[in-house]
Amino acid sequence: MAVTGADPRLAAEQAGSPSRLRALVSDPAKAWNTFAIPLIVLIALAALYQYLGGVELTSREAARLNQPELILRARQHVVLSVQIAAWVIAIAVPLGIMLTRPWAKRLTPIFVGIANAGQAIPSIGLLTILAIAIGVGQRGAVIGVTAYCILPVLRNTLVGIQQVDDSIIEAGRGMGMTRQAVLWRIEMPLAVPIVLAGVRTALILAVGTITLGALVGAGTLGVIINSGVVGFSNPVLITGAVLTASVALLIDWVAGIAETVLRPKGL
Amino acid sequence: MDAMIRLDALTKRYPGQEELAVDNVDMEILPGEIVVLVGPSGCGKTTTLKMINRIIEPTSGRIILEGEDVTDVNPDRLRRRIGYVIQQVGLFPHQTIASNVATVPKLLGWGKERITARVDELLEMVSLEPRIYRDRYPKELSGGQRQRVGVARAMAADPPVMLMDEPFGAIDPITRDRLQNEFLRLQEEIQKTIVFVTHDIDEAIKMGDRIAIFGDNHRIQQFATPEAILSQPANEFVDDFTGTGASLKRLNLVRVRDVDLGEWPTAISSVRREDALAQLDEVDQAFLLLVDSNRRPVRWVSRRDLSRADWNQHVGLPVRAQVPLNATLSDALDEMLTSSVGVAIVVDDGGAYRGIVDIDTVMTAVNTLRAETRERVAVAAWHAPAGAVEEGGA
Ligand SMILES: Nc1ncnc2c1ncn2[C@@H]1O[C@H](COP(=O)(O)OP(=O)(O)O)[C@@H](O)[C@H]1O
Ligand SMILES: [Mg+2]
Repeated sequence: MAVTGADPRLAAEQAGSPSRLRALVSDPAKAWNTFAIPLIVLIALAALYQYLGGVELTSREAARLNQPELILRARQHVVLSVQIAAWVIAIAVPLGIMLTRPWAKRLTPIFVGIANAGQAIPSIGLLTILAIAIGVGQRGAVIGVTAYCILPVLRNTLVGIQQVDDSIIEAGRGMGMTRQAVLWRIEMPLAVPIVLAGVRTALILAVGTITLGALVGAGTLGVIINSGVVGFSNPVLITGAVLTASVALLIDWVAGIAETVLRPKGL
Repeated sequence: MDAMIRLDALTKRYPGQEELAVDNVDMEILPGEIVVLVGPSGCGKTTTLKMINRIIEPTSGRIILEGEDVTDVNPDRLRRRIGYVIQQVGLFPHQTIASNVATVPKLLGWGKERITARVDELLEMVSLEPRIYRDRYPKELSGGQRQRVGVARAMAADPPVMLMDEPFGAIDPITRDRLQNEFLRLQEEIQKTIVFVTHDIDEAIKMGDRIAIFGDNHRIQQFATPEAILSQPANEFVDDFTGTGASLKRLNLVRVRDVDLGEWPTAISSVRREDALAQLDEVDQAFLLLVDSNRRPVRWVSRRDLSRADWNQHVGLPVRAQVPLNATLSDALDEMLTSSVGVAIVVDDGGAYRGIVDIDTVMTAVNTLRAETRERVAVAAWHAPAGAVEEGGA
């Protein structure tokens, strides 16, 4: 068996199992916890449908509130959010791991400071600056929101690795596991729950913040909210808001399930 | 015999510290012996132990393992040859017991079947039924069971040497006692070379073939057998550290089978009353020990019991205080003090009467032991310079 080079995602996947997924739906109380959110979303969407059927739409409103347009915006929203989350993970997790290595420990305050700044700068300002610098469109929006969402994942990766009991690491090293083996087989799996909690937070931030992408030509459900605001149209505004909230809830729901399933057994 | 481990002027100064944490430790540890490092907190026991597998790198000095200088070899490879058990155990919480135990064999690239077989064998060795515990997670085990897994994990690849840092330190006294006994029994089979750290002198005396007492100056004050340390403390520090109960502690060192047992009048329980009385008259004791047809002790009967009108097979006192041949004199003393007759009956594996231990037996044993140890220490001291010359010449 190879000592080094294990993949952290692999470790996490091995930890999850179908039985755990089944456990989420097996007993009624758990099933309720598991399916409450989709149910609420379904009810909200049904109510929205009902409401829209009962109001007279102007032609401008009708141009916004047609199915292809709504699906397009919702899809942009989800795709961009997931893309951002992927970038955040790809940047913050390795960075966090690196910063827990003895040789890089001194750099930790610097990078945490940068990530802090990324979150502290008002995102609308960050997106505008990026739009000016690299032009309007999805690229700038993704970069800006990614910068905004780095902190929770970076911080949780650091904490997740640092909280692993020293005696566990000493036992591993004392038996002749290399530093890499200890990282991939012990530290990372044990950090998984905390890292995942950070990823979930980042996703929630991303889903909310990417609505601002509408202002820099990146589309998303923000477009609908925005035109509702600009056109003083309650039906458009309400539709945008309900859809954004629904997408946010559903993405968080999926992330929550992932958290349960990927959590290593035995913890 | 060639040393399994030799420490040669091993010294550690932690960065930024004035004082040495370990000051010039020289030690030869023989194959198959348990050497206990004992001393007050902060005297450098753990640091010394961890320099042997280079979890802590020595500032100066050499470590020789099985004749090979390992001071500068790859530490990861070195550690796979040395079992390591720590007080906090450090089991991997996200891995099953089997997976934990398999850690080193996996690092060494053993095949799957060999690993499975070895894991089961080890779990049985430490009294954990493999079928039940193999697939459990550490959090599903008690403290004592976790420590057993820790020991099994350290033995997995059958390393010749094991390092144990207060392995039973965080465990309740009753479980600790059981684990110590189990471990000593196991050691009789596996015959590992063991370096064992504790701050508890009683544990040191119980576990050690030899004991190294560290002083507050981070140096070894005395390195000798428990007997020698108790009867011939090298200096005031050792004398203080071993404590005032030293004579009593020494009783832990002697097995009942090794002393001259006392005799007691016995009779088969179907004996006739007149014969029994005659026997008592002859030996001038207050009680006669009745044994069954297999010579297993049953009851004590006194002259008064024998003269009762309703004398039958059931009068007298039931026998309670019995010890097996491999009990220590300390155990026997305990039993003796609770016995109504003031003696502990010694029985063999089949439960048959072998003799008794009374206060005279204990006193005689203590005196013999003291004399023997003095002699041995004197002989060792006589030979020491010669040994040193020999070594220097080699
Ligand atoms: N990592 C460390 N850094 C600095 N000093 C240490 C470190 N570890 C131990 N020491 C010091 O070294 C001495 C010996 O410690 P240790 O070997 O742990 O003692 P023991 O195990 O006998 O209690 C103590 O004075 C302790 O404070
Ligand atoms: Mg210690």
